[in-house]
Amino acid sequence: MAVKDYLRQRFFPHMWCPGCGHGTILNSLLRAIEELELEKKDIVMTSGIGCSARISGYVDFHSLHTMHGRALACATGVKLSRPHLNVIVPMGDGDALAIGGNHFIHAARRNIDITAIVMNNRIYGMTGGQFSPLSGVGIKATTAPYTTIDNNFDVVELATAAGASFVARSTAYHVKESTDILKQAIQHKGFSVVEILSQCPTHYGRKNKEGDAVSMLELHKTNTAKIGSKALEKNPVLTPRGIFVDTDKPEYCAEYEKVIAFAMKEKTS
Amino acid sequence: MALSFIDGNEAIARAAVRAGCRFFSGYPITPATTIYQQMLKLLPPLKGVCLQGEDEIASIGFCLGASMAGLKAMTATSGPGISLYSEQISFALSGEIPLVIVDVQRLGPSTGSATKGADGDIQFLRWGSSGGLPVVVLAPVDVRDCYILTMHAFNLAEQYRCPVFIASNKEIGMTRESIEIDSLDTPDLLTRKYCPEDQPYLPFQVPPGTMIPPFLPIGGSRLVRQTSSTHDPEGYITADTDIIGQVIERLDKKLVTNVDTFTFFEFDSDPDAETLLLVYGVTARAAKTAVEQMRKGGKAISLLILKTLYPVPEDFIKQCINEVKRVVVVEMNLGQYVREIERLAESQHVSHFGKMDGELISPELIQQVIAL
Ligand SMILES: Cc1ncc(C[n+]2csc(CCOP(=O)(O)OP(=O)(O)O)c2C)c(N)n1
Ligand code: SF4
Repeated sequence: MAVKDYLRQRFFPHMWCPGCGHGTILNSLLRAIEELELEKKDIVMTSGIGCSARISGYVDFHSLHTMHGRALACATGVKLSRPHLNVIVPMGDGDALAIGGNHFIHAARRNIDITAIVMNNRIYGMTGGQFSPLSGVGIKATTAPYTTIDNNFDVVELATAAGASFVARSTAYHVKESTDILKQAIQHKGFSVVEILSQCPTHYGRKNKEGDAVSMLELHKTNTAKIGSKALEKNPVLTPRGIFVDTDKPEYCAEYEKVIAFAMKEKTS
Repeated sequence: MALSFIDGNEAIARAAVRAGCRFFSGYPITPATTIYQQMLKLLPPLKGVCLQGEDEIASIGFCLGASMAGLKAMTATSGPGISLYSEQISFALSGEIPLVIVDVQRLGPSTGSATKGADGDIQFLRWGSSGGLPVVVLAPVDVRDCYILTMHAFNLAEQYRCPVFIASNKEIGMTRESIEIDSLDTPDLLTRKYCPEDQPYLPFQVPPGTMIPPFLPIGGSRLVRQTSSTHDPEGYITADTDIIGQVIERLDKKLVTNVDTFTFFEFDSDPDAETLLLVYGVTARAAKTAVEQMRKGGKAISLLILKTLYPVPEDFIKQCINEVKRVVVVEMNLGQYVREIERLAESQHVSHFGKMDGELISPELIQQVIAL
């Protein structure tokens, strides 16, 4: 199936600003799904609210466009009800880690087989450029005109500590790498977290003098380096990209099956 | 026939499972926790899912996902948890997601008293969601009602694709009574209408002459779109004010115009009575005793026990109060449902008695109030 067959083009033009990284990430995701030859009806795209969350409206899969921060909660209910489904949850950084932070760590702890994509533009795009828990210190935002004093989470460290069994990072610049990582994340049995650095030229770029989308994309390239690369060794302040965690751990739905089997046996014995 | 000696919470759990509930999720809170414990006994042996959320927000979210995937779902909590459900109740309303929500009320405000009963959430259940659209609230009086009304609650949630509340109370939820389940007058089970295979499916398209869109599950063979945003029949976000207005009107009407078909009550009318005592919930039990005693003493009095609180069964209530000159509403709060009666009364004098100190309202107190 061609990538365009996965899109509901009748709902275009999409709502993203020119140069927004979110569309590029959608492209990488659709290519991953295409390469995996997944059937549309086996994919449930569950999202919350935000520019990133609007992905669910444009894809021709099952889509569940829920509430700000609550996508993982609803996705958990869907997955446990129909464990054969591929449940994919694209989230903004605020959606995933501010209002949705509790669901994020607990979904990771359960290691439920869901693919969580954190589209990290380090800002609240949809509501007009407020800072997020991923902005970090010294950033200008609508709610931080004097620059932020809040420390940021490191999504990779947080997801790892919380128990996610697949954790990776890429950027909207590295589209092929993103596709490759997303393929592995979707195939992985367990909670997969893929952080993809995105860019919001409209709010973050403008306020923080990072220029237009092209120069922001350039920064994704120059500020990051592959894990294990010489560049990272030479310059450890760069943000590492790649797969950080890929382990086999008991998956929640499979474990729940065991609970059911046990309960059924007790009942009949 | 076998008698069961069970409390209201267990009755709710048993009835839920009999009604086809296969997904339960909750977060521990007295006095609702034992519903969860009962569901844990009942659901997994039936391949059902019973899940503890990281909080109430997650628990009800799990339920909404499960319901969209096609399972009958229920959650149970008390006042502090209902507060956290609010946003998702709105989503269930707008997304037309069937769900049964049990509120075993305890004395508020806030943490209040975990082990004391009250009926303090009644207006909160009705209005505790953004947008203010109608919900269904059923109020059991005893263990028997817990069983029967829970079965109705599932039917209503399925039939109207909406959240349905059971407004229980610590006193009902945690008091055991003997009931004979097999002899209860329980309804036939209903299941949400599915879109037929040979018909095109649009998630929110309403067939002519009906008010409820046929359902298909998320993750089934045909693609389903669900959204919390204002949407068109395709389930896609719309800013078209005509479409938005029509959908909202339908969400209101589908319940309000049908409440006559699910008005549950006990009406014990005395043609000579000038006073009607109107109650609901556990207070109805004291009211029955009070009425019996007053009648023994030669006083004519009528008693209306309402079990469908919302949508307000306006026509039915008007009929009942038209028979009398005075209506006395007694409830375990400082005056909530009485507001509905005041707006429905024409010439009748409406008075109210309520208290919130964690004690049940006694038959003697009711008699004193009526004698005033
Ligand atoms: C409960 C609730 N609070 C606030 C909002 C308003 N809101 C919508 S999107 C959003 C933040 C979006 O930022 P992010 O999640 O980072 O995604 P982005 O738009 O940057 O892709 C907020 C606060 C809401 N819809 N619901
Ligand atoms: S506001 Fe920012 S995040 Fe939202 S669409 Fe525009 S560029 Fe993208």
